Amino acid sequence: MDVLTIQNLKKKFGSKEVLCGLDLSVPEHSIFGFIGKNGAGKTTTMKAILGFLRSDSGEIHVMGEKVHFGQTGTNRYIGYLPDVPEFYSYMTPTEYLTLCGEVCGMNKADIAARSKELLDLVGLGQECRRIKGFSRGMKQRLGIAQALLNRPKLLICDEPTSALDPAGRKEILDILLAARQQTTVLFSTHILSDVERICTEAAFLHNGKIAMQGTIAQLRNKRASDGFIIETEKKGAADTLIKAFGDLKRTEQTVLVFHGGEDRFFSIMQYVAENRMSIQRMERIEPTLESLFLEVTT
Amino acid sequence: MKPLLSFLKKEYLEVARTGKLIILMLLFVLFGMMNPAIAKLTPWMMEMLSDAMAESGLLVTNIQVDAMTSWTQFFKNIPMALIAYVLIFSDIFTKEYKSGTLLLVLTKGLPRYKIVLAKTVLLLSAWTFGYGLCFAITYGYNAYFWDNDIAQNLFFSIAIWWLFGVWVICLIIMFSSLLQNNTEVILCAGGTVLLSYLWGVIPKAKAYSPAVLMDAGSLLIGAEGTGAYIKAVVVATALCIVCVAVSIPVINKKQL
Repeated sequence: MDVLTIQNLKKKFGSKEVLCGLDLSVPEHSIFGFIGKNGAGKTTTMKAILGFLRSDSGEIHVMGEKVHFGQTGTNRYIGYLPDVPEFYSYMTPTEYLTLCGEVCGMNKADIAARSKELLDLVGLGQECRRIKGFSRGMKQRLGIAQALLNRPKLLICDEPTSALDPAGRKEILDILLAARQQTTVLFSTHILSDVERICTEAAFLHNGKIAMQGTIAQLRNKRASDGFIIETEKKGAADTLIKAFGDLKRTEQTVLVFHGGEDRFFSIMQYVAENRMSIQRMERIEPTLESLFLEVTT
Repeated sequence: MKPLLSFLKKEYLEVARTGKLIILMLLFVLFGMMNPAIAKLTPWMMEMLSDAMAESGLLVTNIQVDAMTSWTQFFKNIPMALIAYVLIFSDIFTKEYKSGTLLLVLTKGLPRYKIVLAKTVLLLSAWTFGYGLCFAITYGYNAYFWDNDIAQNLFFSIAIWWLFGVWVICLIIMFSSLLQNNTEVILCAGGTVLLSYLWGVIPKAKAYSPAVLMDAGSLLIGAEGTGAYIKAVVVATALCIVCVAVSIPVINKKQL
């Protein structure tokens, strides 16, 4: 079942069309990476899902229920972590979670138990200070705790790791991975290593549309190979190869790259063997999300 | 009901912990004490100045002060207290829009109109508390030094000035729902009060202007009866309801 479906979502800011017919579906219990360049419209999409932004056209459904702008009915299924979460700084983490719990109608005992459990999960269990003195990473972790408080069906995180150091990033990713047991995670990012580490599915947002979507394996298989690299020992050999095979591209003095099928590769190998050319290395370029991303977005 | 109460609790915690409550109390206590103090000190100040005034041809005779002097001071000073109050609380909505703190509670399913209601309750209760404190202090000193009976229609005058404050607060609420920035909110609310003054200039329409509610002087000396203020009371009350009622649909559709 899909937790979230978006159909033909459009949004313009002035004359700039940020989203132009976005379609997306997020299956249950997945960790869904929502990938796009800065300014691609990731936050706009997320705000539309939360009903904070009026879309020009299109429909969004969360757990089969339609999202209406301004009315936050479907938000009872959603936990949201903004890119820079802002809290009431004069409260302690427990007080803040109590406020959130009361607002979403949880009972007192449940709020107390769940707050303790989540604060321990995010490593703020012993923190009695007010939020005012918290670092960015601590706020991010408290943000995850508040987002998970009411056991949401969908956890939306807007670039949760972008501003953190490597240690902080690892902590957040581990928490998101642990959260998968209870919920579906949709997180936007432009850090591709994070997607490769924890995501089960991903979608690339480009020019206001989903350019590609699928499981990580499917995405990689979209291109069996990115091509090959051939490094010759001497510049002369590289020159000869380029003359013989026009589709080779030179990236360095002695390094040649080509994108093509296996047949082409074998004919180059044959040529190399016949002419007894000395080769430093020949290797297949493994497709990475990064190369996919660059291909999709450029 | 529970979400409303917990959000209201958060509002009170905010005024208490951010120091606004202390500032508010100090402000109104100070204003409350200033009124009788100025009345009490007037003869002494006049005496001090009498020599200088005699040189310019003014003769200072025996000055009589009573509770009326102090109440006149009260109605002269309370606009300043209201301005200070407005400056302290004008960012009650806009600060939350700017920092994005509302986003998280809204994603928890808090209906937006409850934000308006909770903030309205806080603003009205803080104004009532501060204004009441200021009045009680002045009343106490006046009763101690002189006699409050000299001022006619005192409680009515106090009540209509309170209503004027409530109207200004409702303007703050309405403009906060429409605008993003607290300077704009203050300017628009101030502009509306100014318009109500101008409205008071038109002789036929004067009785309906909320600005009339500030004119307690003639009530105190008994030159005007309470009946002359009823129209303004009705108009101001209706405007208060309209302001809050307008804020709710506006906030419901506000892009955050």
